[in-house]
Amino acid sequence: MATAPAPAALKFTGSKYLVQRLVLATLTGRTIKISQIRSSSHTSPGLAPHEVSFLRLLEAITNGSQIEFSYTGTTVVYKPGLITGSAAGYGAQGGVIRHELSAECRRGVSYFLVPLCLLAPFSKAQVNVIFTGPGVITSSTELGDISADTVRTAILPSFRSFGIENNLELRILRRSNSGRDGRGGGGEVQLVFGHQVRLPKTIHLMNAGRVKRIRGVAYSTGVAGANNARLIEAARGVLNEFSPDIYVFSDVSSAPFVPAPSKDNPAAKKKIGLGFGLSLVAETNTNMLYSADITSPPAGGEAPEELGKKCAYQLLEAVEQGGCVGAVAAPTMLTLMALGSEDVGRIAMSKDVLGSEQVVQLARDLRAFGFSGWGLRDGDEEDEVVVSVVGRGVGNVGRKIT
Amino acid sequence: TAAAHGRRQPYRVAELARLMYDDMMSTAEVLKQWRGEDDGKDNVTLEGEQDDELFRKRREVEDDVDDRTIAKHDYAALEAKWRDTDNIESLRQRFASTRVSGANGE
Repeated sequence: MATAPAPAALKFTGSKYLVQRLVLATLTGRTIKISQIRSSSHTSPGLAPHEVSFLRLLEAITNGSQIEFSYTGTTVVYKPGLITGSAAGYGAQGGVIRHELSAECRRGVSYFLVPLCLLAPFSKAQVNVIFTGPGVITSSTELGDISADTVRTAILPSFRSFGIENNLELRILRRSNSGRDGRGGGGEVQLVFGHQVRLPKTIHLMNAGRVKRIRGVAYSTGVAGANNARLIEAARGVLNEFSPDIYVFSDVSSAPFVPAPSKDNPAAKKKIGLGFGLSLVAETNTNMLYSADITSPPAGGEAPEELGKKCAYQLLEAVEQGGCVGAVAAPTMLTLMALGSEDVGRIAMSKDVLGSEQVVQLARDLRAFGFSGWGLRDGDEEDEVVVSVVGRGVGNVGRKIT
Repeated sequence: TAAAHGRRQPYRVAELARLMYDDMMSTAEVLKQWRGEDDGKDNVTLEGEQDDELFRKRREVEDDVDDRTIAKHDYAALEAKWRDTDNIESLRQRFASTRVSGANGE
């Protein structure tokens, strides 16, 4: 279908949903052209540093991708190659790809991790990538990125329903919050995604169940560990009302040192990424997950008590929305469903999660890439919708050719 | 707000199924209409866009706001909401264990 005489490039506009479209292009082998990327911006037209970095990551884990930018960077043409993962010989050393993020990066490392997880099951070899450099932010960010902890505890487990569960690991090797003015960090994370499949299993998730426990990670990086205790106590203060089974892990680490060369001292280093934050995950008795993230703003000025409460409220909202998938993992789940075998998969979702711009746009983008439209009907529970997705059996275009 | 004339009841699943793939509407417009929030149409649409059905076209370039994974929240509103005992009670049924069986003496 997506092979042989190359079909014309799919055309998209704008910087929104850029990553989603690049991922779908890679999975289907379709060439895409994205234009008008921040073309109306006078100060920073074209692709942002994190977007360029994501394209470079795609280049690193594929073989034969072609990427062309226009002079202004407002148009990019991407012709995807095969997803080879960290196979030896394609930029991977010792089976590991090191991907360096520049100090300009404002997005959390989850911005890269989540799409990488979506590509990894369809890779030829396992995916093993270390994110390093002065731009790795492991905490959540004010730009709405989830923390690396939440990727580990709320995104990775959602692959289990699709029969993708072995040898998946996300190691947070060094923590970092966002640097001052939200730019840069000094963290390091390693994603090992070693379960490759031909097609994801067809899922039927109809029962959201009830929340049986709440887990979490509080992190303090380069600041007093007491912040963790205060975050946890505040969150418990809200959540104890609902669940007796709450355990939040406390991780205290020193701030990373990153090179900060100056004229006088080219070997100078500085501390970066100080701060604290909290990641919470609620798990139901049918293994559905809802998550919440909060982090101290780069400029400081918010007490851990306030943030702990906010994170708890955010989690309650997600639990109240309900459904078999939280808003954070919904795009990942729905995309995997579309990639499944030619069978009808079903998932009961919250109306609020389905009725978000991101999910509606995903439905449209999937259709643009030749996937079938979704069927919707009322769910058993109030405020639930059952989304039926027919897989297209194009899970692994790359390996079909080889 | 559901009083908008001829407007059917909001949040209907069939309505969303119909609107979702209507490329003439932006995703924001789809959701507004689905939620029955579009009664204040004139305030929302940009100048020159409400003129005529003929000239209604999809806005190609959305405002270049960065993609968010975590939605923005009004935490003051959330705090008020989750301090309300009625809200707390109704959320309890989404939790497994605890004081369901009326042990809380409500």
